[in-house]
Amino acid sequence: MRPVNLVAVYLSLLVALLCQLFPWVGQGIIFRPDFMLVVLLYWILRAPNLCSVGTAWFVGLLVDLATGSLLGQHALTFTFTAFIGLSYQRRLVLFNAWQLAGYVFALLVFERVAILLLKLFAGNDNPGWHYYWPIFTGMLLWQFMIFIFGSITRPKTK
Amino acid sequence: MLKGVHQKLDPQQTPAFFVRGASAFSRTVFFCALSVIAMAVDARLNYLSQFRQAFIGGLHPLEMIANAPSEWVRDAKKYFSAHNQLVQENYALKQQAFEHEVMLQRLSTIQAENNHLRSLLNGNIPIQPKAILGEISHTGRDPFTSVVVVNRGSQHNIKAGQAVVDSKGVIGQVTRVFPFSSEVTLITDKDLSIPIQIERNQLRAIAFGEGNNTLDIPFLPTNVDIKVGDKLVTSGIDGIYPAGLAVATVTKIQQNPESPFAKIISTPVAGVSNHLQLLLLELPQAKEAELVPEPAPVEKAVAETKTTTSSKTKVKHHAPR
Repeated sequence: MRPVNLVAVYLSLLVALLCQLFPWVGQGIIFRPDFMLVVLLYWILRAPNLCSVGTAWFVGLLVDLATGSLLGQHALTFTFTAFIGLSYQRRLVLFNAWQLAGYVFALLVFERVAILLLKLFAGNDNPGWHYYWPIFTGMLLWQFMIFIFGSITRPKTK
Repeated sequence: MLKGVHQKLDPQQTPAFFVRGASAFSRTVFFCALSVIAMAVDARLNYLSQFRQAFIGGLHPLEMIANAPSEWVRDAKKYFSAHNQLVQENYALKQQAFEHEVMLQRLSTIQAENNHLRSLLNGNIPIQPKAILGEISHTGRDPFTSVVVVNRGSQHNIKAGQAVVDSKGVIGQVTRVFPFSSEVTLITDKDLSIPIQIERNQLRAIAFGEGNNTLDIPFLPTNVDIKVGDKLVTSGIDGIYPAGLAVATVTKIQQNPESPFAKIISTPVAGVSNHLQLLLLELPQAKEAELVPEPAPVEKAVAETKTTTSSKTKVKHHAPR
C-alpha cells in the first residue's frame, strides 16, 4: 500500500459530492449508490489517521444539506458507521478480498437500516425493497475505489 | 536485534505507534450528540433554514458542474434532431395553437360575461395570477419525500408557498427557496394537502398526498356522490391555488364495511415526469402579506399596536389525520 495523500482523500470526497449532486432521475435514483459513504468508508479503512469519525460527521452533514433531508440524519448514521468500521480497522490487513467485501457490505447495510429507522421514527412509510438497491451498487463502487486507489488487504506474497 | 527490542517492551502496554488523539469511541459519542442536537434544532426550531439557504447558494457552482453532462446530452440531442421530426412537430404545434386560439376567443367573451355577471351580483372579480416559467433541474435526492427542484429561486422573486402548475394541472407548492433554485413539494407528498372541488357537482373536499403518486380524499361518507373518472379541480378557498385548476382524476373508490368513510384514490393529472417546464404562479397579494417573514422588532411593535388580530399562516395545509 502506498502512503495516502490528504489531497487525494478530499479530492475524491469532492468528486463523490459531485456524483451525489448529479441530476438523477427516474430509475437512476433507485440505483444510485451512496457515493459519499463508500468513498468515506474506503478512506476510513485505509487511512484512519487522515479520515476518521470527525470527517464522517462532516461528510454526513454535507449529504444532509445536499439532499435536503433533516439536518444531522446522515451525520449521525455516518458517524456510527465510521465508528464500527474503525473498531475492526486494524484487523483488516488479515482479511482477504472477499472477507473485506463482506465487511463493507455489512457496514453499508447498517447505514441503510439506520437511516430507515430514523425516517420511520419521523413518520415516513417503509419504502419497500428497492430501498436496498444502493447497497449493491455501493459494492460495485467499492470495487471501483479499490481498482483506482489500490487494495486495503495485504498484497499476495509469492 | 529486533527480537531484543521486543523482549524489553512491556507486553501489557501497546506502544503508541499510531497516535490517534482522542479515542474513536469518545469522538463518536461527541459527534453523535452534535448530530442529535442538529436534528432536534432542525426539526423543532427554524434557525437552520438561513444556514441551509446559504449553503445551497454556495453549492450552486458545484451543482452546475454536476448538471453540465446531462445538459450537453440534451443540447446534442436538440442539435441532431432530424429535420422531418422538427417539421412534424412544428405542424402539430401550429394546429394545437390554432385550436387553442379558437378556444381562447370564446374564453375572453365568457370571461367578460362572467365578470359582468359577477359585478351585477356584487361579487369579487377573480384576479389572474402572474406566473414565472421554470424548469425542473432534478427530482429530489431524498427518496422519502416527493419533491422536484426548479431552477428559479429567491433571485427570481420566488417565495415559499407559491403554487406550481404545468400545462395539464397542479404540480405542487414551493416549500423551500434557495438563491438560484427552489424546492417544489408535489401534491402527492405525504405532508401536502390541497383543497379541491369535484368538477361535476362542485362538492368541496381536501385531498391529501399518499406518497406513492396518488391522492387520498378522506372523511367523506360512503354514499358520497363521487364516481370513478370524476375530475378534481382546485376550489380556490385557500387563496394559494387559483380556483379551477385541474388536480387529479378519481381512479378508485373502495367501500370498507367497517369504516363509515369511503376510501377515494385519485391520480394527479399533471405529468411531472413527462415535462421539464412548469409555471410558478405568483401568490395573491393578500396571501403574500401574511407569508412574508416577520418584520424587524420596531416595525413589528408598531404593527402589533395597529392590528391585534394578525395571524401567521403556515405554508403547508396540515390537517389532523
